[in-house]
Amino acid sequence: MTVKKIAKKELARLLDEWSRQFSVLVPSVETGVAQMTGWQGEDTSFVDWYRNTILPPKDAILPVMEEMFSFSKNEDGYRLEMSPPDSGRQLIFGIRPCDARALAMLDVVFKQDYEDTYYMRRRLNTVLVGIGCTNPYDSCFCTSLSSGPSDTAGLDLMLTDIGDEFVIEAVTEAGRELLDKSQGMRPATADDEARARESRDIANQRVTQNVDVKKMPDRLLAAFDNEEYWRKIAAKCISCGICTLLCPTCYCFDINDEVSDNRGARYRSLDSCAFCIYTKMPVENPREEKWQRVRNRVCHKYEFYPRLFDTIACTGCGRCIRLCPVNWDITRTLNSIPGQ
Amino acid sequence: MAIDEISNRKRFLAGDNVYLPHIAVIEKIIEETPDTRTFHFSFKDEKLRREFSFESGQFGEFSIFGVGEAPFCISSSPTRCDHLEFAVKRVGRVTSALHRLGAGAEIGFRGPYGNGFPLGYLEGKNLVFIAGGIGLAPLRSLIWNVLDKRDKYRKIDIIYGARSPADLCFTYDLDSWKQDKTVNMVTTVDKGDDSWTGREGFVPQVLEQLAPSAKEAVAVVCGPPVMIRFTFPVLAKLGFTPGQMITTLEKRMKCGIGKCGRCNIGDIYVCRDGPVFSYAQIRDFISSEY
Ligand code: SF4
Ligand code: SF4
Ligand code: FES
Repeated sequence: MTVKKIAKKELARLLDEWSRQFSVLVPSVETGVAQMTGWQGEDTSFVDWYRNTILPPKDAILPVMEEMFSFSKNEDGYRLEMSPPDSGRQLIFGIRPCDARALAMLDVVFKQDYEDTYYMRRRLNTVLVGIGCTNPYDSCFCTSLSSGPSDTAGLDLMLTDIGDEFVIEAVTEAGRELLDKSQGMRPATADDEARARESRDIANQRVTQNVDVKKMPDRLLAAFDNEEYWRKIAAKCISCGICTLLCPTCYCFDINDEVSDNRGARYRSLDSCAFCIYTKMPVENPREEKWQRVRNRVCHKYEFYPRLFDTIACTGCGRCIRLCPVNWDITRTLNSIPGQ
Repeated sequence: MAIDEISNRKRFLAGDNVYLPHIAVIEKIIEETPDTRTFHFSFKDEKLRREFSFESGQFGEFSIFGVGEAPFCISSSPTRCDHLEFAVKRVGRVTSALHRLGAGAEIGFRGPYGNGFPLGYLEGKNLVFIAGGIGLAPLRSLIWNVLDKRDKYRKIDIIYGARSPADLCFTYDLDSWKQDKTVNMVTTVDKGDDSWTGREGFVPQVLEQLAPSAKEAVAVVCGPPVMIRFTFPVLAKLGFTPGQMITTLEKRMKCGIGKCGRCNIGDIYVCRDGPVFSYAQIRDFISSEY
């Protein structure tokens, strides 16, 4: 597919240009927490400081909370009104390869069987422009999951940093069209592409954390009933749910109603399998104990999801390791499954 | 796998959006026990009222606007479609709010979801229906379904138990099944009161005493998890194979369509793959979280 390049100092102009068609999201720390927020113009310094966002970009497609529909009542009874989408076409600029891959994993769930109206209407209106990582974290382990800092899966366009310029590669047809229409692009030379390759190789080598995922579903299956192991693994977890809320591949949600000032609405909000009430029924709770919940989280990613959809539902982004308040580390769990 | 017939799962989406409920009107409320009520309801939309279909064992997400959604199985039979029914035991927020509703109130309904009982597999068999408490709700849909096409099935035993005489649900059904000469109906309570002249004893014990033959039979068991746990071994003792034992599993189901994640038992999603399973399937689950 098409390969072009653009100078870094041209970037602000390009984002301005794209803003005419899309709401463009870029990495920012405006709120104190690195996340994707609306492009404000001018400041492209994120290109230098940004390693990955704390909040995963899934937020732009599966928000922490969203209104599904509102309801009102008159003499004829209830009237429901589907809530309009809060954004039109959007472009996420600077999404990391792992997070784009994660969206591809969510797509499978929200598309299968009954299509999820709310997820799909955002997803189909979203263009993903990735920047390959040059400075991965120590906690990243994407390369163990047949991915890496230059993986293009799930992206429409992929940018590779070659110093003062980015090499831009179209991954999908939608990406190619966007690239063809964009101003200020120059063809990438063979030399540029060689530098891009070199940049990718260096980044790949910088990912040093390793997990052994060979025969993963079966190995986990063998340890599934090893309660002692799971109790040990889960001991320090405080069930805060941060790992799941920040995980780009977690998608569990809850549905609740809110009524205020004569207006009622049904909302969807993210939920977490780390919470005891998540599965609680009036009499029984199948995952009452913490070790059962930790086991479910690990096994959903590395055993159940792969059984259903043939891919491990973890991208190795390392968020759950970096951001856990008690330093719970999934790689240590995966590397210590009994019987390996 | 014993259940090879997966229902064809007809879909009735409101406005192409799976989360948008249909509006339904409560037409009648029956006080089954002090804490359990049956609600008769019909869809407000006339076309849907005509076209809606479901299978015994399927469930819906019922909602009160402003309070929230909860899953209940449809307790009426698809063979009697002039209205629909569901039964609710008052145990939490949504169920309490439902109990406060009167006739004429409007509720939301999404569904039907889940697989339903494998009618094709039951055809031509001797059927043993075993239920406890409000577990009769999904089963009565199936029982009426079967009785309305009586000649497709052979011998029918029904064993129903509750904690006390006051806890017996659907007594009007129990009466008509007792009068039905083609049905062997046994009612039992854990503990009777002064006026109780019927049988006393737990459902699994009564089952053991009655000892229905496993030959060309299928047992369908619905009730509280403890009852199910004690009933399976008795059935096994009577010669029922795991494939001849069918039950429904209960989970906290929010989306009902395999997305919100909470109803899983390993890689099985009860809302989508169930709620009806044979014991042969359950035995093969990765996890025992049920
Ligand atoms: S972030 Fe850490 S402490 Fe919190 S639920 Fe996850 S593993 Fe447990
Ligand atoms: S489980 Fe952890 S490392 Fe894997 S995708 Fe989720 S947050 Fe990233
Ligand atoms: S109820 Fe949501 S996944 Fe089953």
